[in-house]
Amino acid sequence: MPRPPSPSIPEKEFTYGALKQGLRLDGRLPLELRTPTLSFGPDLGWVECAMGKTRVLAQVDGKMVKPTPERPLEGIITINSEISPMASSEYEPGRPSDEEVTMTRMLDKVLRRSDAVDKESLCVQAGQRVWHLRLTIHCLADAGNLLDCACLAGIVALKHYRRPEVEVVGDEVTIHHPSERAPVSLSLHHTPYCFTFAYFPDTSTQAVLDPSLLEQRLSAGVLSIALNAQRELCVVQKAGGVPLAPDEVLRIVDIAVQKAKELNTLVERRLQEDWATRHVEVR
Amino acid sequence: MGSRVEILNDDGYRSDGRRQFELRDITMDLSQRGTADGSAMITHGLTQVLVSVFGPREAKMRSQTFHDRAVLNVEVNIAPFSTGERRKRNRGDKRILEFASAIKSTFEPVVQTNLYPRSQIDIYVHVLQQDGGLLQAGINATTLALVSAGIPLLDLVCAVTGGVHSTSPMLDLTTLEENDIPHLTVAIMPKTGKITLVTMETRLHADRFADIFKLACEAGQVIHKEMKRTVRARTRRLVDAMDLGIRSSAGTGENVDKDVAMNEPE
Amino acid sequence: MTYVLPGESVPAQHVNLKLGPGLLQVSDAQKSSSIISTRAGELKHTANNRQWWIESNSRRYAPAPQESVIGVVIARSGDNWRVDIGSAHVASLDGLAFEGATKRNRPNLKVGSLLYARVSLAHKDMEPELECFDAQTRKAEGFGELKGGFLAKCSLQMSRMLLDPSHFLLPLLGSKFPLDVAIGVNGRVWISTKEPKHTIAVTRCIEAVDPDGGGMDELGVKKFLGTLDI
Repeated sequence: MPRPPSPSIPEKEFTYGALKQGLRLDGRLPLELRTPTLSFGPDLGWVECAMGKTRVLAQVDGKMVKPTPERPLEGIITINSEISPMASSEYEPGRPSDEEVTMTRMLDKVLRRSDAVDKESLCVQAGQRVWHLRLTIHCLADAGNLLDCACLAGIVALKHYRRPEVEVVGDEVTIHHPSERAPVSLSLHHTPYCFTFAYFPDTSTQAVLDPSLLEQRLSAGVLSIALNAQRELCVVQKAGGVPLAPDEVLRIVDIAVQKAKELNTLVERRLQEDWATRHVEVR
Repeated sequence: MGSRVEILNDDGYRSDGRRQFELRDITMDLSQRGTADGSAMITHGLTQVLVSVFGPREAKMRSQTFHDRAVLNVEVNIAPFSTGERRKRNRGDKRILEFASAIKSTFEPVVQTNLYPRSQIDIYVHVLQQDGGLLQAGINATTLALVSAGIPLLDLVCAVTGGVHSTSPMLDLTTLEENDIPHLTVAIMPKTGKITLVTMETRLHADRFADIFKLACEAGQVIHKEMKRTVRARTRRLVDAMDLGIRSSAGTGENVDKDVAMNEPE
Repeated sequence: MTYVLPGESVPAQHVNLKLGPGLLQVSDAQKSSSIISTRAGELKHTANNRQWWIESNSRRYAPAPQESVIGVVIARSGDNWRVDIGSAHVASLDGLAFEGATKRNRPNLKVGSLLYARVSLAHKDMEPELECFDAQTRKAEGFGELKGGFLAKCSLQMSRMLLDPSHFLLPLLGSKFPLDVAIGVNGRVWISTKEPKHTIAVTRCIEAVDPDGGGMDELGVKKFLGTLDI
């Protein structure tokens, strides 16, 4: 299968020229995020996140399983993510591409290894029954910066999800249907958000946040930072690309801290708005 | 989660008797191995990595070449006996793929690939023993192997790991320490002092990050010094060996020039 | 305006009937033939009922002879250039199909160059072929390499709308600042202005007006332009 043609020379030169003046093709400022649109499905834990034309669907479901012998006191979280050719014709099914490996690993680091979910709270009966949460990330369309969008969708889905209430009497475990007892939300230690900055070959061009597809393809390296609104970094990832001065990295971290705070307010607001539309009866 | 061992005791010593900012013993071996065009073995304490470089050579798959530059092909092999518990990782393991792609993208801007269009440079990384700092060892060994293969580089790449135990930063972590405290790997280009790679996977406050990050950048310069020494010693040996025969102008001249330039910063 | 869906029969009749995109002649067992639509869209015909077609929107370009397109050079094979015009197959462009080109004096195109060209051959069993001159007069007639500027992508209907001289967008933009535009019916528009911000404004306007996206009308665009810094 032929590779999709890379951007033409005029596109490349114009984009570099405009970025040098701080202009972006979609009219954003260099450090402006496309405002994410979060829409919630009928089920709890079903979130669709759209940033511009990039769209990702995330869904969480929980199941009762036997824990692994190594960690009898912890619940299990698995993340299924796959970039299918549906997102963009650049992705091929079968062998994972470099981008896909990077994205899968980043999702794993941001959502699972950063201890966002309190795994011990998912334990129902030590060594016998724990919750197994499955987070499925489905990339619907890629118009640049799929990673940030997927991370946001994933973390919001975890925040939105509510697991059924369980009752343990002796050895007997009863799972209450959501219609009987109000389901409980997961206990999250923190909410990491991921931000990707793109760098360009010309070092006098400043970095752009949330690159579009064209910007991403023309960039000479990206720096992804995942952090929460409490100024705690979870993942910093810059693999190769143009070398950066140490101060620049620290500057970017500071910017990301700002953005995380803004994004956190937005997410909290949207979650509250959605919650207000749901009627929960507690008997 | 609680640490079974004391990471840093009250007297300021770590579990293996090092100080906070002390690096482990480093050995670098640039001797020729087999048919590889360049190879290097590096040890950081008990972590041992061997890298062989082949190329630039004709690519096996022509469809994957570029008309204007060479491609880097990195393959990583982690020996099953490299950890305490024998464990075979298959080649499709996402962590190995990520490790390979990190090395590849680190060296893509450093190696002057535009000099060898339509060709391929193969980098085979073998992890023989692991005790923390795998990425750091992999990157350092790759740098040395590329140097010994004579592939033109813009700069050496030096990598260091660092971690923070509560508030005190530490360098060059062992597996034991990596499991317990937040850690990061930084790769710098010593001439410009710029960063080509930085990865961190554990939760850390932004201010702590700044501390350890700056420290790791400095430590990279130390590794650079060590690398320079090794490369210089080997080059000198090569030059001396050439002197025994007829001193050819082109090859030696270049080496001597480089030697002088490398002496300057000290 | 009549809208049709795929499979509907169309009352197209003329002694010398010519069917355009989206229409198909089918004949049944009684040897009588009828015309059906194969696409959803607006049914249109010329004033004398001779030519019929369906006006619809899509993103994938299917080449047809004599259409002007914008392509990107992706490779060189012998004397020909391989050009991506967004169709199912890569088009080929003869190195001599330029104004003033001879065996010695060929245009100097690079991989990644943009071209404004005309489809000279389009057949389902063959690769599309392009030319950058008028085959009769051997004059460029505006075709050739597009230097500088920027390439915006839009839906096919949008590119046809922009070609319509009575469409409001380009005159409106032209009254604000000078601009050069080349429109390919393969959903690509090349824009060149003095200031990068003007190019960005044009790109965003095209995206906003595109019936496939925003579908903004003239008033909306005027308001939108007011919010931009131009």
